Amino acid sequence: MAFRGRGRGRGYGGAGGYGFAKQEPFELFPDIELPNIKSVHKEETLVRESVKLQNFWKASAYYLDETVSKNSRSTEIERYSDMKKPRSTITRDSLSQILELKRFPQELIGGSKGQRPSQKKVRWNPESELQKLDYLEKLEQRAQGQENKDEKEKKEGENEDEDENDGEEDIEEEPSDDDYFQNVEFDDDDDDFNDVDDGGEDEGTF
Amino acid sequence: MVTEYGIKFTVNLINNHFGNLVAKVCENLLRRGPLTLQLIVRYTELTPQQVKNSLLILIQHNCVQAFSYEQDGGLEDGPKSNTQYMALFNNILHRMRFSKFLEIMSREFDDKCKELLEGLLQHGRLTLKQMVERAKDLAERAKSRKKEGICENLVQESLVKLFTARYVERCPASEPVLAARNKEDTPAKKRGPKSARTAEESQTLEQRVLAAAAPMEAQRFSAITNNESAVGRETSMDDSPGMRVGAKRKYDASELHIEPAAEEEVILWRANFEEFIRCLRHKACIENVRERLDDGAATVLRAMLEATRSLENKVKTEKSVPLSLNNIFEEVMKSEEGRGMTLDLVRASLVQLGCSPSARGTDESYKIDLKKIIELAQNDEVESIVLKRYGRDAYRMFRLLSKNGRLVETDKIANTTFVEKKDAPKILYKLWKDEYLHMEKLVVAGARQSQFLLWKVNKPCLWKHVLDEMFHAALNLSQRVAYEREKEKEFLNLPVDKQVMSQEERLNRLKSVRIVLESSLLKLDDALMLFHDFEESSLLKLDDAIMLSHDL
Repeated sequence: MAFRGRGRGRGYGGAGGYGFAKQEPFELFPDIELPNIKSVHKEETLVRESVKLQNFWKASAYYLDETVSKNSRSTEIERYSDMKKPRSTITRDSLSQILELKRFPQELIGGSKGQRPSQKKVRWNPESELQKLDYLEKLEQRAQGQENKDEKEKKEGENEDEDENDGEEDIEEEPSDDDYFQNVEFDDDDDDFNDVDDGGEDEGTF
Repeated sequence: MVTEYGIKFTVNLINNHFGNLVAKVCENLLRRGPLTLQLIVRYTELTPQQVKNSLLILIQHNCVQAFSYEQDGGLEDGPKSNTQYMALFNNILHRMRFSKFLEIMSREFDDKCKELLEGLLQHGRLTLKQMVERAKDLAERAKSRKKEGICENLVQESLVKLFTARYVERCPASEPVLAARNKEDTPAKKRGPKSARTAEESQTLEQRVLAAAAPMEAQRFSAITNNESAVGRETSMDDSPGMRVGAKRKYDASELHIEPAAEEEVILWRANFEEFIRCLRHKACIENVRERLDDGAATVLRAMLEATRSLENKVKTEKSVPLSLNNIFEEVMKSEEGRGMTLDLVRASLVQLGCSPSARGTDESYKIDLKKIIELAQNDEVESIVLKRYGRDAYRMFRLLSKNGRLVETDKIANTTFVEKKDAPKILYKLWKDEYLHMEKLVVAGARQSQFLLWKVNKPCLWKHVLDEMFHAALNLSQRVAYEREKEKEFLNLPVDKQVMSQEERLNRLKSVRIVLESSLLKLDDALMLFHDFEESSLLKLDDAIMLSHDL
C-alpha cells in the first residue's frame, strides 16, 4: 500500500534499523546566509557583453529547438486573432547558410543535398530581429538614448500596456529599416502544409 | 580536471547557448568519452539528423573534435566509418568567459578588431569572406558611410593584427587519423601498476587527437595557403617558424594580399583560446603579487610578462622566459606606472619576487617562478574558504597542516595552534567529514592500547574537491539567473492590474539582480581558472584514464 512509508515512519523511527525516510518539503532555493551585496564588484560591461552573446546564440541557427511534429502543425488553421498573439516560434537561419560544409566529417554532411551550401544570405544580427527582445537590452538602449528619455519611457510604458510581454518591436528609437530586412529570405514557396525548409526542423536542413 | 559538477555545469552552459538537444549529445560525450555517431544516436535516443546537426554545431564552436583511427588493411566488405567524436571540456568551459576575452581585445586593440573577434566568438569559426560580409552588414546597420572598399581592407588589416598577436588561429583539421595502438602491447601494459602506466602514457588521448588535428606551427598563425607556398613565393618562410613573426611584420595591410584561396583551401579562422588564457593567467599572477607584495613588484612582473608573452611555449609554463636586467628595466620604463622607477628599485622588486640572477657577470638574466605564484594564490583561496566556513581556529589548524604536508597528531596540532584540546578533535573531524582533511588512525599496542588520530592535507585530492564545489556553485548561480528570468517572464504575462510593481521597477530589479549574479559568476570564474586552467593537474585525469582504457 502506498501509505506504508509515510504514516508509520514517525512512530517506528527508533525501533530498529534506519526507519523510514523523513519527508521534507522541496525547496528550490533554500535560504542561506549570503555575503554583503556591496562586496560584489559589479562588472557591468562584462555582463552586458555576456548577455549580448547569449541573446545572439538564442536567436541564431545554432540553437536547436525541440520541434513540434509536422502533423500537428499542419492541422492548425491560422486565425486572424493569431496575428495579435506573440509568435512563439523564431525564424532562424539554417545551418547550411553559415557552415563551411566541406570542413566537417563526411558522415555528418552526407548525401548530395548536403554538398550544396545554401545561397540564402546570412543574418549576422539575428538578435535584433528577434521578436522576444531581451528586456535588459531594451533598458540599455533607453539609457543610451539620453535625449527625450522621459518621453520614450512613457511611450514604452504605453506600448507595453497594449502588447503582450514579448510583443512586436515597438521601440520608437529602433531603426525602422528592420522592416525592410525582415523578408529578405522570405521564400514564397514555403508552405506549412508541405515541405518547409527552415532552420530548427528535425529533418534535413541542407 | 573533469569533475561531476564540472560536467553538469558545462552541460548547463551548452543548454543555455544551443538548446537541450545539443546539450544531450554533449553530455553523453563528456560522460562516456569519445563515441561514434551510431553510439551517440543510441545513447541519446535522438534522431540521426538531430545528432548530426548537434555535432555540426559543437564542432563549429570548437567544443568537439572528430578523429578516426587508421584502418588496418584486411578483410573488409566496404569502407567502414570509425569516426569518433570527442568533447573538449576546456573549450566548452571557455564559453563562459568570452566577455573577458572581448575585454582584453578592447584594451589592446581598436573597435574593428574587437568586432572581428566578437564575430569569431559568436560563430565559432569564419572564413575571411564571411568576416568581410559580416562587417559590411554591421556597418550598414550602423549607417556608416564608405562601407564599401574600406571595410574589406579594414577587416583584412584587423585579421592580420590579430593573428600576428596570436589571438586568432587557423582551425584544426576536421578529421585527423590516429595510428591505431598496438593491441599486443596492451595486456602487458594493463597488468602493470597504475603509476607505471601513467608514466608510460605521457600523452592522453585528448592530447594526441589535438596534436594530430592542429595545423603546423608555421601555418597556425599565417594566412599563407598551401597553394601560394607551392608557387614558391613563401617556401623559405614556412620552413622556419622562428622567422614567421618577423616575416609577417614585413607586410602591412596593403602589401599582404590574402589570396582568395582556391576551392580546396578555404582558411577557417577561430579565436585562439590559449592566448587569452595566457593573458588571464598573467593578470592573475600580477594581481596576486600586487596584493601580497606591492605595486612596484607588480609593475616589474607585468613588464616582464608582456615582453616575453609571445615567447612562452605553453600556457601553464612554470617559469617565465629569462630576461636580462637591462631589458626588464627598458620594459618597465615603457609603462606609465614604471616610469618613476629606478634601476635599484627594479632590482629590489626582483628580489622581492624571489628571483635571483641565473648567470654571473654582465649578462645576468632573471626569471619568475609563475608556478609558485599560482600555488600561493590557490592556497590563499582555499584557506579563505576554510576561514569563512569553519572559523579562525579551523583556519589556523588547516594552515599548519597545509604548510607541513605530513601527518600530524591531534594534540600536537592543538598545541602548535593554541586551540583548546577539547575543541580541536571536533573541528578536525568536521573538516575531515567535508573532505578537507585526510585522516588516519594509529593504534599503539603497549601496556595500554591507545589510539591516535593523525591528520593531513592531501593537496591533489583537496584541490579536485574544491574545484568540484566551485563548479557546483557556478551551476547554482546559472540556475538562479535562469529562474529569475523565468519569474520575470511570468510576471510580465500577468494582466497589468495584477502586477504589484510597475513594469519599469520590475525590469530595473531584474537588471540589478542579473548584474549581481552574473558578476558573482565572473568572479567565481577567476577562481575556476586558478584551479583548472592555470596549473597542470598532478593526478592522471580520471576521464582520460577511462578514454585510455576505451582506446586500448
